[in-house]
Amino acid sequence: MSIHTQQLSKTYNPDSDFPVQAIKPLDLTIEQGEFVAVMGPSGSGKTTLLNMLGGIDPPSGGAVLIDGEDLCQLDQKALIAFRRDHVGFIFQDYSLLPVLTALENVEFVMQLQGHKEAECRARAEQLLTEVGLKDQIHKIPAKLSGGQQQRVAVARALAPRPRFVMADEPTANLDAQSTKELLDIMERLNQQEGTTFIFSTHDPRVITRAKRVIVFEDGQLTEDRRQQPEHAA
Amino acid sequence: MLVKLAWRNLWRNKLRTGILLSAIVFGLVGVIAMMGFITGMYSNMIQNGIAWQTSQLQIHHPRYLDDPRLEAVLDQPDPLLKALAQEPRIAARSGRFIADGMVASARATRGIQINGVSPADETAVTPLAEAVIHGQWLDEQGRNPVLVSSKTAERLKLQIGSKVVLTFTDVDGDVAGAAFRVRGIFKTPASGFDDGNLFVRHSDLTALAGLEGIHEIAIRLVEQDHQELELLDDVRSELQALAGDVNQVRDWRQIQPMLASILGQIGVSNAIILGIYVTAMAFGIVNILLMSVFERTREFGVLMAVGMQKHKIFALLLLESAWLGIVGGGLGLLIASGLIALLQHTGISLGAMADGLAAFGVDTLFYPEVSASDYRLVFITVVIASLFAALYPARQILKQTPVSAMAEKH
Repeated sequence: MSIHTQQLSKTYNPDSDFPVQAIKPLDLTIEQGEFVAVMGPSGSGKTTLLNMLGGIDPPSGGAVLIDGEDLCQLDQKALIAFRRDHVGFIFQDYSLLPVLTALENVEFVMQLQGHKEAECRARAEQLLTEVGLKDQIHKIPAKLSGGQQQRVAVARALAPRPRFVMADEPTANLDAQSTKELLDIMERLNQQEGTTFIFSTHDPRVITRAKRVIVFEDGQLTEDRRQQPEHAA
Repeated sequence: MLVKLAWRNLWRNKLRTGILLSAIVFGLVGVIAMMGFITGMYSNMIQNGIAWQTSQLQIHHPRYLDDPRLEAVLDQPDPLLKALAQEPRIAARSGRFIADGMVASARATRGIQINGVSPADETAVTPLAEAVIHGQWLDEQGRNPVLVSSKTAERLKLQIGSKVVLTFTDVDGDVAGAAFRVRGIFKTPASGFDDGNLFVRHSDLTALAGLEGIHEIAIRLVEQDHQELELLDDVRSELQALAGDVNQVRDWRQIQPMLASILGQIGVSNAIILGIYVTAMAFGIVNILLMSVFERTREFGVLMAVGMQKHKIFALLLLESAWLGIVGGGLGLLIASGLIALLQHTGISLGAMADGLAAFGVDTLFYPEVSASDYRLVFITVVIASLFAALYPARQILKQTPVSAMAEKH
C-alpha cells in the first residue's frame, strides 16, 4: 500500500484577509515499508502533512491517493474506517486514555475494529511484550514514565495492524535513553511487520535513524533524500 | 469496554462527581419524602372520607337524592338488606333513617342531621364505635339514647347523661320531637362531619317519625383499597342489578366528587414535584458533563483520529450520564425507601395542626405512601432525564473534527 500526493496543499483561513498556506502544492510518493522522517522547523507544515496523509485533516487542494484511491472522495464513514483499519497514530503527548490500563489502551483500538475480546487481549499482550512492557500492562498511564507511555502508544498504534503509522514528534518529550529505545522498537516493528513509519521530528537523533528524510520549510518540500540509517550502538 | 470506560471517566474527578451525586441523592430523598407525604395525606383524607362519611357504596331512592325528604325511603329495603348480606364481596352494610332537624339543650339549639342506625350494623360499616371518647356506643338498652360529637357537646354544654330534645318535620309536615339522653360523645378526624351529625337508634327515630323504612344503605366492601376503581365499578354494576330499577347505587366518587378529584390531584402533584426535580437535576448533569467534555476535547479528537465512530463517542457520553442517573437514582431510592419505611412505622405527627387538618378530614398522625410503581417511575424518569442531559454536551463534541478537537487546549 503506497501513499501518493498530487498537488496536495493546505491553506488555513482561506477566506480571511490573512490566509496561511501551511502546505504548498506537493507531489510525493511513499512506498509500503518505508521509514521516513519529515523534518523542519516549527510551523513548517510537518504536522499538517501527517494529518492530511492520515486522513484526519482534509486538504485544501490536490489529492492523497492510497493505492490509487483518493482519500478526499471517501465519505465520513469510509474515512473513519480507513483510519481505524489502516493508520496508526503516535502523538507527542502520548494521548493515552488515562483511565484505562496499558493493556486496555491497546485492546481498545482493536475492539473498535470489532475483534473478539480474546484476540484483542492476545495481540495487546504480545505488542506490549515486544515494546518491553510485559510487567507493566496493568498499570494506568499515570503510573508509567514518559518513555513507557510512548511505548504503549506505539503498541496501540500497531495493534490494528495498520499499513501506516503517523508519528508526530514521538520523541519530543523523551530523554536520550528513552528515545533510543523507542526508535529501536519502531525500527524493529517496521522490519518485522512491514509497517510504513512516517514521523515528523527535528530531533537529530531521530533523523539519523531514518532511511529517508523529507525536509520542509515554510510549507514547501526543500529536500527529499534517502540515506543509510545509523544504528544505535 | 465502553461501559467500563464510561464508568471510569465518571470518577476522574471524584470530588465533582461526588458533589453532583450527593445533590441527586439528597434531592431524590426530598422528592420521594414529599411525594410520600402528599400521597399519604391525600390517601388519609380519602380513606377517612370513605370510612366515616360515604362508605364505598351507598343506595338511595332517587327521590331522596333530588330532595332528601322523610318520605323518600328505599323501595323494599328488607329483601335488599338480606340480599346484600349474602354478597361475598360485601363485608358489611348498614341501613340508615335520616332526618334533618334540630338538637336543643338547656343552653343552645343547633341544626343537625339525625342518623337513625342499627347499632350492630353501623359498627360493622363505620369505625364510629371506636371514635367514642366518652360514654358508650349505642346499644339496645335504655330509652332514647343519643350519640353526639365532642363539638356538639361543647357547643350545647352537654355531658354524658345530659338531656337533649331532637325535633324535625314529620311526613305530615308537623313538628315531631322527643327527649334523648347523651349516651356517648364521639370525635372523628373530620370536624365538618362532627359538626353536622348525631346518631340515634333506628327504631327510636322511625317511631318518632311515624314512618318505617330506611333512606340510605351504606356498604363496606371486603376490598378496602380505594385505588381499586375497576373493582368498585364492577361491584356497583352488580349491586345496581340487585337493588332493582327504583333504587340507585352510587360509589364514593359519585357521592363525593371532590374527594374523587383528589385521587387525580395526587398524580398531578407528584408529577409536578418530580418534573421540577428532574429538570434541576438534568441541568446539573449538563453542567458537569459540559465541564467534563470540554476538559477532554483533545482526547475525543484522538479517539476520532484512531477510528472511533461518532455514534460510539455519543454512546460513551450517554453512558457516562446514564451512570450518573443510575448511581444517583439508585442510591437516592435506597435511602428514600429506608426513610419512608421508617416513617411508615412511626407515622408523621402533625398534632400542632390538628384544627386545620380536621377541616380536611385528615388524621393528625398519618403515614407516607410510596408505591413500588412510584419508585419505579422516579428511577426511570431520573435515568431518562440524565440521558437527555447528555445530548447537548455530546453535540458540542460531535460537531468537532478530529484536528479541531485535538487542537483544543484545556
